[in-house]
Amino acid sequence: MRKVVAPDYTVFEHVKRHVEAVKTAIREAIIPESVTCSYPKERRKMPASFRGYLIFDPDRCISCFGCAFICPANAIRMKEAEDGRYYPTIDYGKCIFCHFCLDSCPEGALKPTKIHDVAYRDLDRMLTLTEEMIEPPEIIREDKRYVEYVIDGRDLHLRRVDGEDELLVDLPPPSKVERIASCIDPESCTGCRICEEVCEHGVIRSSVEEDGVRMVIDSERCTGCGLCVKECSMRVLRLVRR
Amino acid sequence: MTGTVEALINLMMADQVAIPLLDPILNILYGIPLLGHLLALILWKPLFAALICPGFATLGGLLMLLPWIERKLVARIQWRIGPHEILPQMGGVIQLLADSLRFLFQEVIVHRDAKQPYFLQFPVLSFIPALLPLLFIPAGTIIAIESPYGAQIVLAMVTLFPLFILGLGWASNSRFAYIGTVREAFVYFGYEIALIVSAFAMIVLYGTSDPLAISGMQQVPGIILNPVAALAFFIASAMATSRLPFEIPEADQELAGGPHVEYSGILFGLIYVISYEKVYILSGLMTLLFLGGGSGPEIRVLGDLSGLIWFILKTLLVMIALIALRAIYPRYRLDQALRIGWNPVFTLSTIAVGVSLMEVLLL
Repeated sequence: MRKVVAPDYTVFEHVKRHVEAVKTAIREAIIPESVTCSYPKERRKMPASFRGYLIFDPDRCISCFGCAFICPANAIRMKEAEDGRYYPTIDYGKCIFCHFCLDSCPEGALKPTKIHDVAYRDLDRMLTLTEEMIEPPEIIREDKRYVEYVIDGRDLHLRRVDGEDELLVDLPPPSKVERIASCIDPESCTGCRICEEVCEHGVIRSSVEEDGVRMVIDSERCTGCGLCVKECSMRVLRLVRR
Repeated sequence: MTGTVEALINLMMADQVAIPLLDPILNILYGIPLLGHLLALILWKPLFAALICPGFATLGGLLMLLPWIERKLVARIQWRIGPHEILPQMGGVIQLLADSLRFLFQEVIVHRDAKQPYFLQFPVLSFIPALLPLLFIPAGTIIAIESPYGAQIVLAMVTLFPLFILGLGWASNSRFAYIGTVREAFVYFGYEIALIVSAFAMIVLYGTSDPLAISGMQQVPGIILNPVAALAFFIASAMATSRLPFEIPEADQELAGGPHVEYSGILFGLIYVISYEKVYILSGLMTLLFLGGGSGPEIRVLGDLSGLIWFILKTLLVMIALIALRAIYPRYRLDQALRIGWNPVFTLSTIAVGVSLMEVLLL
């Protein structure tokens, strides 16, 4: 075991250290290197990958339930809209802002923003419905400039830039792999027709033949959402490249 | 009767604060019956020193300003912003006014175990050692009481402070206050001798302890004549003010305020300013002993106020240096502070006496 003892400085070293401390204090008193961002009056410039409030584009959504399946906090529920399709709703009381939903979205229907300061009147209102997610929330901007942190050598510096930081992020749509559902083992299909019920787009049709029920996937219209793959009880459906 | 009043007015008129710049206005004002007499009374040098500068008004103004300067300066050094929200255009300069208003309207709680009369009296009485030394510190040529033993009297008054703090802690009758009080006593033993000996070194050097004579003698400021004494006096006064790095009696982290843990409202406000009063008085004494008091390039139009302005400027400088220590050093332990007080600082002050004696004998 090693005993920790105070370093044994000579008087000269003591004096040197005191002088150093005083010098630092005087330097900082004259030109302080503040790193404080006075928040409502100026905002920190966040990177485009900032995990903030989510907005939603229903035109891109293929109702694949991917976001709801992956959500680790169970914050996302799919809700049936008037057109019969299912869209996500987010409960921000549960959301942990991991953005797994955004990463799992194959079509880029969920979009990130840099908004991190949303207030709700009560817990119930934190459940954000699909209609409320389409437009970003109303924000009162007090900031006239934004702040960037720059690491220069080994020190952190703060740089103030005039102008507003754009809070909405304009991401290009994800480069997606076109995929369609296909049956890899038709022999094993039991003809339960769950895939037909589950398909949001009416792509899977069933017809009764003499040897039993026969399923047909319209590969032209299939969006590759994978719902049927998840639900197939015999595990005979797969997503394959188009 | 009229003769006495006449003699009194003549006495006052003979010893007025001379301000050539304001003379035309003052001459008109002296002609107005009651106002003229009042003005003559206020501008009578001893009363001016006691009431305006370096006395009551300056002390009050500094108490309003000094905590703000401290918080702003320390915040700058520590990369923070400091007081900001009250009057943000001026950087929150009236912060302490707001604080004192809050103290004023807060309920003063006297708890059951407190020794009530003393608990209420000591904070008010602690103004005595704060105001009395100011009568003996000259601002330029303005001094309330001229005494051949001025420097000693100021030191004696300053060493009265711990008595009142001990009183506060004893009257609070609480264990935190008790520990803080005992620590205050310990620290007091640590700095007192070094403080007195280093001031004694300067008195030996000047051969007089008349404050006016001391400030008049310093063509070369005392800090150059005897830098060892200046350093010892500075460290001892940093310990005397019981502020960081020697904030041992108050020790927010473990004693939650030490002697004044039980106080609230305006009584706490009165105690809160004790250490700032100490800073002002000790800085004034340091200015007098080491920085030449009110001596400096004379501004002719301001007359007596010229020395006063130099005195205030130098005192502010010393006060800022004392205050900035807070941002530089962490708090010492009690035993470390006692070791610092008895070992290096006491040695330094003894060496300073030797240096002074050498200079007196050689020059």
